[in-house]
Amino acid sequence: MSQFVVAPMLVALGTAILTLLVREYGRTQRAVSALGVLAYAATVAVFVARVVPGRIVVYELGNWSAPYGIVLVADSLAAFMLALTAVLAVPVLAFSLRSIDDFGQRLSYHPLFHFMLLGVTGAFLTGDIFNLFVWFEVMLMSSYVLVVFYGGDRQTGAALRYVVLNLVGSAVMLLAIGGVYAVTGTLNMADISQYVATADPAATAPILGLSALLFTVFALKAGMVPLHFWVPGAYTAAPAPVTAMLAGVVKKVGIYAIVRLYFTIFAAAGFTVDLPGLGPEAGLLAFYAGVIFLMATASTFFGGIGAVGQDELDGLLAYSSIGQVGFITLPLAIAAAVPAVGQLAIAATLVYALNHTLSKGLLFLVAGTIRDAAGSTDFHDLGGIAGRTPLVAGAFLVGGLGLVGIPPLAGFFGKLLVFRTAVEAGAWLPLGVALAGAVLTIAYVSRAWNRGFWGTQTPRVEGMQPDSIQVVVIVVLAALVVGVGVGFDPVFRFADAAAQAALAREEYVTAVLGTGGGHA
Amino acid sequence: MTEFVLAVALGLLFAVGTFLVLRRDVVRVVWGVTIISQAANVYLVTMGGIGGSVPVLHGEHAGVTDPLVQALVLTAIVIGFGTTAFALVLTYRVYEEHGTIDTTELGIQ
Repeated sequence: MSQFVVAPMLVALGTAILTLLVREYGRTQRAVSALGVLAYAATVAVFVARVVPGRIVVYELGNWSAPYGIVLVADSLAAFMLALTAVLAVPVLAFSLRSIDDFGQRLSYHPLFHFMLLGVTGAFLTGDIFNLFVWFEVMLMSSYVLVVFYGGDRQTGAALRYVVLNLVGSAVMLLAIGGVYAVTGTLNMADISQYVATADPAATAPILGLSALLFTVFALKAGMVPLHFWVPGAYTAAPAPVTAMLAGVVKKVGIYAIVRLYFTIFAAAGFTVDLPGLGPEAGLLAFYAGVIFLMATASTFFGGIGAVGQDELDGLLAYSSIGQVGFITLPLAIAAAVPAVGQLAIAATLVYALNHTLSKGLLFLVAGTIRDAAGSTDFHDLGGIAGRTPLVAGAFLVGGLGLVGIPPLAGFFGKLLVFRTAVEAGAWLPLGVALAGAVLTIAYVSRAWNRGFWGTQTPRVEGMQPDSIQVVVIVVLAALVVGVGVGFDPVFRFADAAAQAALAREEYVTAVLGTGGGHA
Repeated sequence: MTEFVLAVALGLLFAVGTFLVLRRDVVRVVWGVTIISQAANVYLVTMGGIGGSVPVLHGEHAGVTDPLVQALVLTAIVIGFGTTAFALVLTYRVYEEHGTIDTTELGIQ
């Protein structure tokens, strides 16, 4: 019974279509959408229970065996990413039921939300590189419309930039996939891995350039500097729940793709590269260690400094997302440079990604609550929210401290693991970057707190009446941020199993191709 | 010979696409993106090998072009069709909201 692998996708697809069919009936549509996201979470829970730890289940679509057909691969890494998605998707949908206007919900919000969920799920599950492109497109197509959702001048400008950049990104991804196919003669990820591991290193050398092309696309999706231009505009223009999903989940698809393709698939490549600063015998991962480190460092500083200078809560959180992606990818650079700490480093990345999903999702929802109630998130209009609505301010504080990494919140363990990875690998430069990033995080979180939540109440804040359901959702999410930190042990074991799966190339290839199968 | 012609065509398509993407007029930018994605499709077909082999069958099947890349290109064309339509609608909406489609005036560099 391997049907559970495809179940989350079918639920998301079915819900998207159902919400389209019942769009004439507003209440029914909302009920279907809410039940759909709960069913999605339930199928993900089954998925996690069957896969974690250490099992790999392969679902062959149409019963075409790999490498000829498209396969879905369920392992602990995919399970971790799906769990992260489901945990954020449920509160975000509940929030949007009260936050998105009635007309918008009836028109297209619910189908788009579930199609985006479908695209994300497909990207996490697929074992075929072209299929990955297709799921990226499904996810992006929905996110284009969601970014421009309210269609004002700010939204159209931001969406234009987002759309054009991602369309160019898609073309680049197609090019890279075409090149990989020409070199390896296959699109199945396990088969590609098998080929680059066994073929003549000289014949597989083009993989370096092609994988670098692919990397730019994933970095664009993850919003790493210097491919971050779209982030602040799109995150401030989109409705708050959409931004929570974009920052919390869609961004992580880029991170996931980097982990899966470079650490599971391409890592086996036998060729060496001779690049300045790397020595003549550097492998593919050593090359990416440098690339990821530079981009992560640039992201940490650019995002952190940019966030400190923002006059709007939305903008501050958007720049903070750029900085936090630097933090998420920094351990990957260490994992690529020092394979001995690979598992710990990838676990650190995953834990920090989960922390960012929960904390940043929460913070964007808090910003949305404030915007809905006070009509603005500009710090000039805000002040003294802590005195007016302690619950909203408390939720912000939890999310902010989660980003900063105060024990016992999840962020503390995330940061701790990042530091531990750096220390164990003896990587002092990354450690310094991580520390500087942590200081910048403290700076912008305390600045947001001082300007928006402490001080005297402004007229807008005095008249603020936050929607009670919205407050319930953010309080529940804040409790979750605390809960993941307090009950951290199972979360870490889950992340560790996922990191192990990410590095278990042999098991992945064997599970997909069988022991004797594979490339002719 | 076919390879040479296709390589030249690809180079031209990417050059024209890049040139258009760098224009100030948003409609031209959208055409540029469309041309780049079509160029990627032509590249995919080329990568299948002209008169190459078939992926599923082993042995002597020379003269049969790889059908897999053509299936990929069909998928990519359909996706490109949807995204181009959306980008054009978005351009119109940008014009309605801002009264201009000049990227400099829109503040998008």
